Amino acid sequence: MKKTISAILRMASILSMVMAVTLLTACGAKDEETTKTTGASKSEMTTEADGDTTGETAAKGDLAESSYTIGISQFAQHGSLDNCREGFIEGLRQAGIVEGENLTVDYQNAEADTGLANQIAQNFVAGKVDLICAVATPSAQSAYNAALNTDIPTIFTAVTDPVAAELAGEDRMPVGNVTGTSDKLPVEAQLAMIREILPDAKTIGIIYTTSEVNSESTIAEYEAAVGEYGFELETVGISSIADVPLAADTLLAKVDCLNNLTDNTVVSALPTIIEKANAKGIPVFGSEVEQVKIGCLASEGIEYFQLGVQTGQMAAKVLKGEMAASEMPYEIIEESSLYINGAVAEKLSIEISDEVRERATEFFTEIE
Amino acid sequence: MEVILSVLCQGMIYSIMALGVYITYKILDFPDMTADGTFPLGAAVSAMMLTGGMGSGWTFLTLLASFAAGAVAGMLTGLIHVKCKVRDLLAGIIMMTALYTVNLRISGKSNVPLFSSETIFSNKAIDGIFQWLLPSSLNSYKVLIIIVVASILCKLLLDLYMKTKSGFLLRATGDNATLVTSLAKDKGLVKILGLSIANGLVALSGGMMAQYQRYFDITMGTGTVIIGLASVIMASNLMKNIPVIKNTTAVIAGAVVYRGAWAAVMALGLDAKDMKFITAALLLIFLVISMERKKKVKTHA
Repeated sequence: MKKTISAILRMASILSMVMAVTLLTACGAKDEETTKTTGASKSEMTTEADGDTTGETAAKGDLAESSYTIGISQFAQHGSLDNCREGFIEGLRQAGIVEGENLTVDYQNAEADTGLANQIAQNFVAGKVDLICAVATPSAQSAYNAALNTDIPTIFTAVTDPVAAELAGEDRMPVGNVTGTSDKLPVEAQLAMIREILPDAKTIGIIYTTSEVNSESTIAEYEAAVGEYGFELETVGISSIADVPLAADTLLAKVDCLNNLTDNTVVSALPTIIEKANAKGIPVFGSEVEQVKIGCLASEGIEYFQLGVQTGQMAAKVLKGEMAASEMPYEIIEESSLYINGAVAEKLSIEISDEVRERATEFFTEIE
Repeated sequence: MEVILSVLCQGMIYSIMALGVYITYKILDFPDMTADGTFPLGAAVSAMMLTGGMGSGWTFLTLLASFAAGAVAGMLTGLIHVKCKVRDLLAGIIMMTALYTVNLRISGKSNVPLFSSETIFSNKAIDGIFQWLLPSSLNSYKVLIIIVVASILCKLLLDLYMKTKSGFLLRATGDNATLVTSLAKDKGLVKILGLSIANGLVALSGGMMAQYQRYFDITMGTGTVIIGLASVIMASNLMKNIPVIKNTTAVIAGAVVYRGAWAAVMALGLDAKDMKFITAALLLIFLVISMERKKKVKTHA
């Protein structure tokens, strides 16, 4: 018995040694790869994906100057954020930087783990990417911090409040080599739209997650603005998706309609909320087109894909050297777009005036 | 090179946390879940002190405050377990859950950036010292040096403590609680003390992490216990056959190697989505190889 144990132990130490060695070689290989821009030989230790990159760079040896490698660090997996990322790549494409041709994209998702977000950002910096695109606040902060003492620019998107995140100053100008776009919700436009559709409603309810800083700042904006439109605001904070049903029940007893933010956790549980609300004849307003598709009555929000495109165009300017990230103020989408779901309106017997209907970017007639 | 540097930095910061987990898991034999809450607790305390503004020379006080806050949280876990007779695992979970609210109350919001505040890694006093001490070519190692000094200091202090009478009692409580009782000592008090020290270390590590990554986020504690356990288990495996190396040193090495393995897996092009599974698999492999569970079952049988 003892013999087997010691044999296994030896195996364990060998395994760990191997791991340490892989680490060293992996880093070595990566460094080598980046320094050799026109290198013809493939590094032996690289994986298949890395191998492809090397091959591509080699094939495009003469185009080496105008081909770029970027790292995308996305904080969590989520419909809006995914749209944002796809829009970003589209924005680059519109500016002539096409994935697979002169652009290599290394996409990593931190799965809502800040430690992982740090590691991803640092790996990008170590891999000497030309630009880091960070989607959502913690990823943006990690990327900016990792690239602080390098000349790698960070372009963020879907950061609701870049000023509060200390990525930009009060004048919208960046604090360093970092800029991007904010997904600040058009709160006033949304409130005006709710007032238009529900002239008699008094109380709006919002469920938000206490761990999401974006929701907190949006709630603060709603609090400041609701009075102007004759509403009162009721909010319930939750800490995990499991709290959603109870929070919805609590809130539905007190409100005339629910309003939904871009809160990641709440959005994931949106079907539960819609079902509970509709059972009581209470409409739920969304903040984004995807939410309207699955059963929110209407939304006056921003389009994440468009936000991504705008961000991609900013990134293209930086990549091409037309402008430095540090001299570009962060951007927001000024115009909001209205989406209405007619099937939901019918179900709740809410009448949508023709005036509102004509203003809508899209009018859905079924619930997905 | 940057990857190795960042692995060392993060690994050494986590190693302080791992020392805490080592105390509870290995020495006290107490499955302490509090760490998931005390790690961000330390971060929140540090972040709030820094944004409140501290004198350059005094930023290190944030770490002491983080330690103190963590120690109080650990003490409460201990009290819940010993005085209210709640099972060890549950006591930790209760405290961890409560700390989520406490952390949000301390920080005021779920994300506090520290880009414009002085931290232990960049403030006038420490920059001055390093300018005087080091050639500027070595300046990129400044952060690593500070982290290494801090974690070695923690290790040495812990080693010293383990040699005191109180330290021996702590070890005895985990190994053979009856002995402690027969020495006319209260094993409950010893447990509370151990949990305090352990969670103090975890919080200190959290405070350092917030200053290193330059932001506090309420979610940063998720998975702390598992990182700590993995480090400790790796440590006991790696270093078992080398008697000269102290356990505490092994724990620090374990944390760095664990972080390294993680970075290696990512550098090899694996999807970040798979990281949690790999963490779980690594942990399982190491546990099975070390036969830790089997041995435990035997001794209790």
